Amino acid sequence: MPPDEVRSATPFEEPRRSLMMSGLPRETIISIVLFAVVWQVMSYLAPSLGIPAFAIPGLGRIAQSLSKITPLDVAITLGRVLLALVVSFAIGLLVAVLMYLSDSVEKYLRPMVRILMAVPVVSWILFAVLWFKGVEFRIVFVLVVVCAPVFTVDALDNMREVSRDLKQMIRSFRPTPLQFFHKLMLPAITPGLITSWKITLSLAIRVVTIAELVGAVTGIGHQLSVAQELFSVADVFAWTLVLVVLLFILEALLMQLETRVLRWRA
Amino acid sequence: MTGLSASIEIADLRKVFRQTTSGQSVVAIDQLTLRIEPRELVAIVGQTGCGKSTLFDLLIGLEHPTAGSITIGKKTPYDDFNAFRGKIATIFQQDRLFPWRSALDNVKLPLELIGIAEDIRHERAMTWLKRLGLEKFANAYPRELSGGMRQRVAIARAFAVQPEILLADESFSALDEVTANELRKTFVELAREFNSTAILITHQLEEAMGVGDRIIVFGKSAALLADIRMSDWDRANYPQLREAIQNTLQANAPDPRLRK
Repeated sequence: MPPDEVRSATPFEEPRRSLMMSGLPRETIISIVLFAVVWQVMSYLAPSLGIPAFAIPGLGRIAQSLSKITPLDVAITLGRVLLALVVSFAIGLLVAVLMYLSDSVEKYLRPMVRILMAVPVVSWILFAVLWFKGVEFRIVFVLVVVCAPVFTVDALDNMREVSRDLKQMIRSFRPTPLQFFHKLMLPAITPGLITSWKITLSLAIRVVTIAELVGAVTGIGHQLSVAQELFSVADVFAWTLVLVVLLFILEALLMQLETRVLRWRA
Repeated sequence: MTGLSASIEIADLRKVFRQTTSGQSVVAIDQLTLRIEPRELVAIVGQTGCGKSTLFDLLIGLEHPTAGSITIGKKTPYDDFNAFRGKIATIFQQDRLFPWRSALDNVKLPLELIGIAEDIRHERAMTWLKRLGLEKFANAYPRELSGGMRQRVAIARAFAVQPEILLADESFSALDEVTANELRKTFVELAREFNSTAILITHQLEEAMGVGDRIIVFGKSAALLADIRMSDWDRANYPQLREAIQNTLQANAPDPRLRK
């Protein structure tokens, strides 16, 4: 018997970097600190430059605003985003499977998907306000109509790229259509779907804020709207910071999931 | 269903492909008639592009013939596709393992597809991995295994369903000679032990002679140039046989020495 060798992992594998604060590289921390210093200096110099003091509040004022952040609004926005993403993913994947299975369905649905993707978010918000009464439904509608087509296009592209060899191999064992998707297609497109989730997550965070600006009485978007009415740049800054951190945390969780689910990759 | 006594009957088989770019027709298989008996170990040898792999796809049931038929126990592998679930297994040139599954889970795959209970399929998959000397690597992913080890997992996967018909397409030609020889030997031993009808498609004459009880030589468009039973030849005459088959392949016409 020939001495088969087990392939060793790449010796100089780069460690995965977490986006959480503890894992931030030194350069990132320096640039954040530098930005904070420049901001503070500008805040100090603003009146002498003819800029109203409230336009560039100091770090202390922003910290005050941060201390007043209401967790309920953060939770509500997070809930809306996650609910909409789950619904978008389910719809997007289902439509992609239908398009993959039937050329006719694909020919009819592809233009629709492209059109949905081309419509600006603001237009969807206006449509939602004109069409629907319920505020929650409006927000979820806008998020789903923006995110679902992204999932559809990504899932369909990934399904098309599944190796022909692997398809032939599993077909030779005669799977049922459900087994074909469950055993081959879903695991094969999982890396692409995770990438799609990363893209759609940041899209959803941006869209939900705009959607909440119109009509919502809760959520981060609503709080931003209130801050704008009060001319409070510190509050706008604080809520924006919360949004960014929220996105980073969600991305970090996704990356952890990715590492866990895709541990079979090098 | 098919039963171990079922032979593979290929009658007036024709397969024509239309090229998408030029629109021209290519005759991959032209009027092939062949009968393969149960438990036979057949090696089909031919030059690249002679229609061997097309025959492989037709035997698996992934392609439909343009004309003619393949019947196994009154059923066709393409029209009665599901009737052959768990009855036909394949080993390809590349291992075609799922990279997201461990070696053990790859061997379990065909057992999952035919609905074997988890405890039984685990035991059976482990038995096959042990048989092929891979029990220590049951939880290794394909990327962690060498080419020979991966191909052994593919062999274990094929035999795990205890198929009546085993189809192998250039299954050992991508491996180094030492590993290939060892796996050919394993393949023949297992096929005999489990009374499988085995068809090995290859372009390597040495491989065909090393594996087959019977060697079928294909010419252009799967023209049947020679059908040789190895038992008709003394081992001492193998060099002449080799030369005769080589001449047949090169001339695309039967060598007179093969008409015995």
